[in-house]
Amino acid sequence: MATNQQRDSDGWLARLSSRFARFAEFVQDTDNDAVVAGAVGGLSLAGAFVGFLVTSPYTSVAVLGFLAAVAYSWVRHQELAARGVTLAMTVSTIVILALITFFIFYEAWPILQDRSGTVLGLTIPGLEMFTTTAWTPAEGTPRYSMLPMIQGTVLVTIIATAVAGPLGVAAALFISEIAPPTVREVVKPGVEVLAGIPSIVYGFLGFTVLSPWASDQFALVGQGTYLFVGIVVGLMALPTVVSVAEDAINSVPESMKSGSLALGTTDWQTMTTVTIPTAFSGISAAVLLGVGRAIGETMAATVMLRNTPTIAEPLYNVFYGFETLTSLIAANYGSSSGLQKDALFVAGCILFLSVLALSVGSQLIEQRMEQKVGGVE
Amino acid sequence: MTDDPERSTDRLSRRKFVLATCAAGAAGLAGCSGGDGGDGGSDGGSTEAENTEAEDTNMSGSDGGSSGPALLTGEGSSTVYPIANKGASYWNGNAPPSDGEYWGANDSGSVPGWSEIETDQNLADYFASQHGFEATGERSNPPYRATIGLSHSGTGCEAVTDGLVDIGNSSGPITAELGWSEEKRDEEVVDHVLGRDGQPIVVSKDIYDAGIDQLTAEQIRGIYQDEITNWSEIGGPDKEIFCIGRAVGSGTDTSFRLNMLGDAEAEMPGVDTRQGQNQGVAQLVRQNEGAIAYMALAFTGEQVQPIALEFDGTVYQTSKDAENTIFDSSYPLNRDLHMYTQITEDTPSGTDNREGAFMRMFLTEFGQQVFVEDNNYIPLPTSDLEAEMEKLPDTA
Repeated sequence: MATNQQRDSDGWLARLSSRFARFAEFVQDTDNDAVVAGAVGGLSLAGAFVGFLVTSPYTSVAVLGFLAAVAYSWVRHQELAARGVTLAMTVSTIVILALITFFIFYEAWPILQDRSGTVLGLTIPGLEMFTTTAWTPAEGTPRYSMLPMIQGTVLVTIIATAVAGPLGVAAALFISEIAPPTVREVVKPGVEVLAGIPSIVYGFLGFTVLSPWASDQFALVGQGTYLFVGIVVGLMALPTVVSVAEDAINSVPESMKSGSLALGTTDWQTMTTVTIPTAFSGISAAVLLGVGRAIGETMAATVMLRNTPTIAEPLYNVFYGFETLTSLIAANYGSSSGLQKDALFVAGCILFLSVLALSVGSQLIEQRMEQKVGGVE
Repeated sequence: MTDDPERSTDRLSRRKFVLATCAAGAAGLAGCSGGDGGDGGSDGGSTEAENTEAEDTNMSGSDGGSSGPALLTGEGSSTVYPIANKGASYWNGNAPPSDGEYWGANDSGSVPGWSEIETDQNLADYFASQHGFEATGERSNPPYRATIGLSHSGTGCEAVTDGLVDIGNSSGPITAELGWSEEKRDEEVVDHVLGRDGQPIVVSKDIYDAGIDQLTAEQIRGIYQDEITNWSEIGGPDKEIFCIGRAVGSGTDTSFRLNMLGDAEAEMPGVDTRQGQNQGVAQLVRQNEGAIAYMALAFTGEQVQPIALEFDGTVYQTSKDAENTIFDSSYPLNRDLHMYTQITEDTPSGTDNREGAFMRMFLTEFGQQVFVEDNNYIPLPTSDLEAEMEKLPDTA
């Protein structure tokens, strides 16, 4: 191990020095004014970033310096400038992402620290928010449990996936494999139009039509159920699922299907034994994208739910809908302060981590499927 | 519905107005009659400009200068501001009685409470002339202008006692804002209450029709604290209570906890749903059976019925004319919105004619509806209106 590391670090050093040498060569070969413009541009961009962080009034000067450097080099050395600018854009995207992540956790830290708990002598920040069950921020002893919202989000997501998954995959299969071309021409754009409907429209429909109806039919006290929020969110995620799954199924090579058919299978057998397994990575990515949409859906949930964080009993009771992580933030951001506001950021952290886990998970599934069936891009 | 014809005439007249600039003669009339709606914007602008100009002259002018009455100034609480500022805007507009939307009546409708006014004078002219000011008879040119500044309750109270403004707006009593004794208050200022801020208790129509038109404070506390969960427990139908609260930590939520449940940090486990806005609460009460909520009076109606409340042995009725009403300041969810005027050597009664005429506007049925209730505040009950009228100088 030690020698391995040694060798590795040697290689790393060598690579670094060769990289330096190449960079020096590049600087030598390039026109002096281009090098200067690049240096000025890079430095002023870094200066603008620092100025922005410390809210300096000179930030605009640095930004102008960067723009001037870009403008100059764009006129004199367009190719080099384009390389530099695209690199800068990529770097800033990543920096912005890192900053957002940092600030979500930074803002959540005070309450995580305040509500820490001990397990086996180990202090874990925020543990108390996951071991209690009450959310009562305005009372004498305020409690900030995240469990009611986690339950809500999990229930809504499961229902939404149960709606969007089968419907979406079946629709994608039909559009791509079964439907005659004319039907496909009409249905495909139609599904994509569905994706363009703003979520508040769904939420408003749910609030004024679905929720009162459900309240009557199931003899509930008042309106707001996870069941119908889940169904509405599932419908909202449907276009995403159909669209991505259809692309995946479409990209299965015709030769594979023809080969299967030539062996004497029926269309249906080809679909179930060749097309779907081959496109499985794409289909699962589609469903996971839909799940991601369901977790993050805010407007419809806020409008339709009751906004009183409570754990539904029994745990699978979907007929009463209280609060999801997103609707908690949307319903309380205006009137919260202090620890309550920090607790909203904790909800943001949980959402961030679960969406991160989902996207990493979908990448892993995709990789695995690619190895297994030599999947198709 | 009432807006649409207005808008179409407005659009029509704007076209006419363009014509008028080309062919002066006949089209002049059209430009005149239609200009009202569009005038609002330019009107506000000119008021502000005038405000800064007049500010300097006003200091000396407030004791009644030789060349016409001085600008009437007010300042203070953001809670009182919507009432006072809307009043000042109407006043400065000095709309003619043919307007129909802001003052008076015409084919498309009349202002609320017009039947008790029925004058052929313009808005500000009508009230000002009752206090001896000369009517101008011109739209956008009141006998004197009124302007309302926005700051805080405490600042408003200080500004009026320092003589910087004529009217100090405050959402809390001046005794609390400036730490005064009640004697000092009575010596230095006159307290005018022109409206209230508060949230009556409402129930859904099915509950109201089933005979629940009055609850005790104890019952409401029980409902919101989950001790009472069915209407049958308090004499209603056998129906579970759908209890609607307001966003946690908002002003309405805190004041409800404080005034109804007895503690700003009281627990409210009985709440089934929380809504941030009055509109949302009203919609929920309309859509659901067995609902109870508290919300601004302006959103109540046939489907959303305010109910009487028994608190500490007093029954607060929903009728404005009753002895104790939900519009009273002693109703536990209400608080007075004050406009203070200063007692000076020139005006020992505390309220001069300029202030009196302006305030009289708010104390009519028209003023209570347009300035108070339309801004989601609670209008005064009949007895309070009469008492407030007493504080104003006699009409000429």
